[in-house]
Amino acid sequence: MKKTKYIELALITAALASCHQPTPQWHSANNTYIRSDSTAPYTRMQNPYANAGLCYYAFRPYGLFYNGLYRRAGYYSNALSEEVNIGHNAFKSKVVRGGFGESSLSVES
Amino acid sequence: MQRISIPPRNNWQTAVEQLGFGFHTANTPYWDESAYYEFSLAEIDLIEKASAKLWEHCLGAVEHVISQRLYNRFSIPENFIPYIEKTWEEDHPAIYGRFDLCYRDGQVKLLEFNADTPTSLYEAGIVQWFWLQDFDKDKDQFNSIHEKLIAYWKYLQTYLHPGRLHFACVKESLEDLTNTEYLRDCAIQSGLDTRLLFIDDVGWNTENHYFADLQDEPILNIFKLYPWEWMVEEEFGTNILTDKNAAFWIEPAWKMILSNKAILPTLWELYPDCPYLLPAYFEPGHLTDYVRKPILSREGANIELMQNNTLLQETGGDYGREGHIYQQLFTLPSFNGKHPVLGSWIIGQEPAGIGIRESDSLVTDNLSRFIPHLIT
Repeated sequence: MKKTKYIELALITAALASCHQPTPQWHSANNTYIRSDSTAPYTRMQNPYANAGLCYYAFRPYGLFYNGLYRRAGYYSNALSEEVNIGHNAFKSKVVRGGFGESSLSVES
Repeated sequence: MQRISIPPRNNWQTAVEQLGFGFHTANTPYWDESAYYEFSLAEIDLIEKASAKLWEHCLGAVEHVISQRLYNRFSIPENFIPYIEKTWEEDHPAIYGRFDLCYRDGQVKLLEFNADTPTSLYEAGIVQWFWLQDFDKDKDQFNSIHEKLIAYWKYLQTYLHPGRLHFACVKESLEDLTNTEYLRDCAIQSGLDTRLLFIDDVGWNTENHYFADLQDEPILNIFKLYPWEWMVEEEFGTNILTDKNAAFWIEPAWKMILSNKAILPTLWELYPDCPYLLPAYFEPGHLTDYVRKPILSREGANIELMQNNTLLQETGGDYGREGHIYQQLFTLPSFNGKHPVLGSWIIGQEPAGIGIRESDSLVTDNLSRFIPHLIT
């Protein structure tokens, strides 16, 4: 036989099948969960304007100049605590990101 | 080789989605199980033998390009040449590649080699295997991709830097993510510690000069579904040359030579007696029936098919500034107007299986469909 005898997937069905799960109802009328860094915990934000349907959190990119070009290091919001902005990322300001990925939206080859 | 029309499985969309195959249909169908291709064992043996020989010749061609310093033919930036040579001489880890082959009239011919960022791996290794389990599980298929991937990741463990293997792809493509996550799945099953991040989240620690993930932990080994020809043109890519950790990038940089279509005339120069190669040249004038291809292009873009010096077909796109090659025209077979290309996978150093993409035109483009196959 030239075909694999048995196939089991450890990761992919779980990871991508979750795309078809109903979206968790995290957003009640009064609670929004938010974070500014993928290493940070989510924090529950009270939304005093829920009845008015208003909810704004401003996120600003920050980074540094590197070889004459601005490179993104992350995002922060004054509405969040320092822990939620930074997470584990104590050296965030020293790491630049966004340098790859500008060429195309897909590889497809 | 035959093309057989069949009714698709009931609720086939659900069946493939349960496998995590979420991009089966775009604006037009991509996964198409209204037909399958059928091969004899003798035909598969020929395709397998051809793929093994082509891989052997490709390694010879890389050695030739490096030893003769033919980089100008490939439009490779000078600053990356020492790094490419280092990855070749030190035999940096590589896992896969996909030959695009034409099989017609009992002949197998190499059209091109995607040695750096081939896709359609999940369809070839998993989706068509499970299709066959439903359609006729007693039939065979040229497809040992899955077990070979797990085995080769296990073999590569001792060649990687101790520690985690990262996997990176672009953020906006489900197809790219699925291909990457499938490779990561196999790596996990081989016992490797892995982590996924998107390519634009790869960080560079400017103080200590190493690549970092989103937890700011060093990246020591990284599989990337992101082409070298883009990385060397992005300034961020120059950090690879000064990386204190000398992270292994998979596929390694020497694969740039093979995934560049300048390899085709190079192979022809070296192995003109190989029955699986088509004549190919860097200049026009050698052939009256030929295909003009940019040395760097994707999904059939910027191709011109000429017969008796008359334009047969051409495709648009934005590629070609690095130059072109001219390959003997060897048109794809037609099955009632459907033209299949065989994607023959090399996993590790061995042929592992095929996936077939079919187009309504002579050029396989981004509207092509994936059709399963079996062996009679």
